[in-house]
Amino acid sequence: MTTHAPAHEIPTVEGRREPDYLRVTKGFMSWVTTLDHKRIGLMYLFGVTLAFIVGGIFAMLLRAHLWNPGPDGQMFSPQDYNQLFTLHGAFMVFAFIIPAIPGSIANFALPLLIGAPDVALPKLNLASFYLWLFGTVLLSYSAITNGLDTGWTFYTPWSLKSQTAVLSAGLGVFVIGFSSIFTGLNFLVTMHKMRARGMGWFQMPLFCWAIYASSVLQVLATPVLGITVALLAFEHIYHIGVFDPAEGGDPVLFQHFFWFYSHPAVYIMILPGMGIISEVVSTHSRRPLFGYKLLAFSSIAIAVISFLVWGHHMYTSGQSEFAMQAFSFLTVLVAIPTAIKMWSWVATIWGGSIALTAPMLYAIAFLVIFTIGGLTGVYLAALAIDIHLHDTYFVVAHFHAVMMGSTAIAFFAGVHHWWPKMFGRMYNEKLASIAAIVILTGFMVTFLPQFEMGSQGMPRRYATYSEQWVGYHRASTVGAMILGAGFALMVGYLLHSLIAGRKAKPNEWGGVTLDWKCPTPPNLYNFDDEPIAGKLYDYGPTLKR
Amino acid sequence: MIAFQDPLGQLPPQASTFAADHDALFYFLTWVSIGSFALILGLLTYSCVRWRRKTPDQPAASDVTHNTKLEVVWTLIPAIIVIVVFAWGFKGILPQQIAPADARKYRAEAYTWAWELYHPGATKSAGELWFEVDKPARVELTSRDVLHAFFIPAFRVKRDIVPGFRNQIWFQPTLIGDYTLFCAEYCGDQHSMMHRVVHVVDAATYVKEPWAALPETPEARGEYFFNMKGCLACHGTKADSPDPIGPTFFGIYGRKGRLSDDSEYTADEAYIHESIREPQKKIVKGRAPVMPPFDATSLSEEDVNDIIAWMKTLK
Repeated sequence: MTTHAPAHEIPTVEGRREPDYLRVTKGFMSWVTTLDHKRIGLMYLFGVTLAFIVGGIFAMLLRAHLWNPGPDGQMFSPQDYNQLFTLHGAFMVFAFIIPAIPGSIANFALPLLIGAPDVALPKLNLASFYLWLFGTVLLSYSAITNGLDTGWTFYTPWSLKSQTAVLSAGLGVFVIGFSSIFTGLNFLVTMHKMRARGMGWFQMPLFCWAIYASSVLQVLATPVLGITVALLAFEHIYHIGVFDPAEGGDPVLFQHFFWFYSHPAVYIMILPGMGIISEVVSTHSRRPLFGYKLLAFSSIAIAVISFLVWGHHMYTSGQSEFAMQAFSFLTVLVAIPTAIKMWSWVATIWGGSIALTAPMLYAIAFLVIFTIGGLTGVYLAALAIDIHLHDTYFVVAHFHAVMMGSTAIAFFAGVHHWWPKMFGRMYNEKLASIAAIVILTGFMVTFLPQFEMGSQGMPRRYATYSEQWVGYHRASTVGAMILGAGFALMVGYLLHSLIAGRKAKPNEWGGVTLDWKCPTPPNLYNFDDEPIAGKLYDYGPTLKR
Repeated sequence: MIAFQDPLGQLPPQASTFAADHDALFYFLTWVSIGSFALILGLLTYSCVRWRRKTPDQPAASDVTHNTKLEVVWTLIPAIIVIVVFAWGFKGILPQQIAPADARKYRAEAYTWAWELYHPGATKSAGELWFEVDKPARVELTSRDVLHAFFIPAFRVKRDIVPGFRNQIWFQPTLIGDYTLFCAEYCGDQHSMMHRVVHVVDAATYVKEPWAALPETPEARGEYFFNMKGCLACHGTKADSPDPIGPTFFGIYGRKGRLSDDSEYTADEAYIHESIREPQKKIVKGRAPVMPPFDATSLSEEDVNDIIAWMKTLK
């Protein structure tokens, strides 16, 4: 770590003892070969944002296609539309949303939050990044060469008959899976071995608990995804007869394998987002999180239950009613820890000192949309309702509420929260507030009509549709363009802040977790002196005692 | 069963015995959701207005960070609600699992991208479905190729169709009218074109076997089959129809071209007949061998001749 000499003996640059991690070394090679968790986090941030932009462009194109019901007067052929929704899903799920928060925010902030100089396994951390990069390049290669039209779910037997680049895309997913496993493993070891002196498990900030829960999922569930795509590839190449009914295989078995990973995967996506919201809500309300232990355990409860609910994606597949009973019961149980989190955040804000900063506005947008996403999840858990709503736009709207409206917005809340710490610069807060409101509005305009259409029976993944839904589809398309404008504005002011943003204060938000106790931006090994964890979330005296 | 009316008109018409129970649970959840959403939005708005930070060093107003009673309450209330929802939903699907013994037996065979729909006792498939009101009907579901799903929103029923397996679905229509059958499981290129009309009719209409009725002229019948058998998924009818999969039928009769083995063909009656019955036998150069075959249970000799008669008019 760093020297412990008294500060007055050290020549300081702008009042610092050491140069910050952005300036300590220079040049392209110093970045691409870095072992610093913060630089790797920034490379992830840059990479996943690019993937988000690509996936977002696909989304806007497919929404534009659906302006007219077709088949005449649409932008694309049905085949091209099928490719667009597949690539949108594949990029957003595998290249953006799974790695987004662990790769960028957690990589940057987790060691700071627990007072560590780096993650436990820095080389593995860099390897994770390059695996992600390689997998994403493979996905992009598939998109450019032959496209992909299987849906992001690769359901057999269509994925075995499709003439598109299923194998290279599958390999991409396989490789990204390993990136995810290594990231999860790294964080688990880091949290076990490298917490600051004085930091017991229940003095860890809640973001760490959330990352712990999602890391366990990443390590245990992702290998099943690897097995599934490997079997899919064997079926494709050698016709081993495991998924293809023409070879004696069972297509529903693929669904079981796929969802055994992909259901826990939605919690791999949302749990870190919940963790960010906990930190942001606490810091910007100056209140310790309400019901800390219950919040921590609810993350673990969600992770455990999430392994046992995969069958709820297959209520209509013809599984026995007793399997459905078990899966439905376990699925509704997820609503309980989820509700606990929601009430705890609200109670944290209640009676706080609430600063409506940009990160807080994004966090409030999360709370509003996540309420919708969580409640509509209960509709889909209920058997009789899901039979009607399964594979309709209701499902599309529900998971976009949870993934896009919650996880992605939580990710951006985190980006805005730690941006001054990352770069030592502040973005234009007025523009950031406008963008947060535009994005919340865009979300509502895009997805509320989709809930409506879905409950009326509009099936998903339809290139053409019946005239009765024209109005809803057009509203949704307008909403998607509003969302696009909001995100474009966000990228614009964030980039602008790097060049012309004002210098950030050492502790921009008055945060009290350890991440705000190191210099801004942090040193190469983060802290000037070895940090010692005190009372967690200690904001000092309140008005009422 | 107590009839439940759709108070906001947000769901499709209630056209089967399953609909009212589904809708009652749907609206129970909708009211609970609207209530919870309003409560959370209200609490957030109130907090943000009342305790908004006015000076930079303003401390929090409350130091309460834990309240066991409150935490138990906000754990138990959602727990009770979701367990009620689970039990209600499970009770709702139980009657859907086993069809009554007197249900009429239908059969639906799905393929990319159309349906062969067999009515009770029929050996020849029809293009649309007819059900008698208030009589239970059971549909056996099979697929020739990939996953499909049988979905009639007005009946609130859906069941996947899995190749290699026999699934079934049953329902009892309760409301005379025309509804839509959708394919709800993504099945490739023309997935969205796999919709068909479902008629619920009275007994007097049903006994006339309306599914067997066909248009009068051969050309009109040919066009009817073209629409029903899913040909339109890959084949256009205009000179400028897009043709990424199969050729447009405009001016196709009598056309000459080359096959994949470079031999020449003429699209005469015999060639078109063979292309419908055994489409994989001769593949036009540059085309993929993707067309499904249509045997005599799907299209009789007469039906094929009607299609050819109609094709001759497209020029």
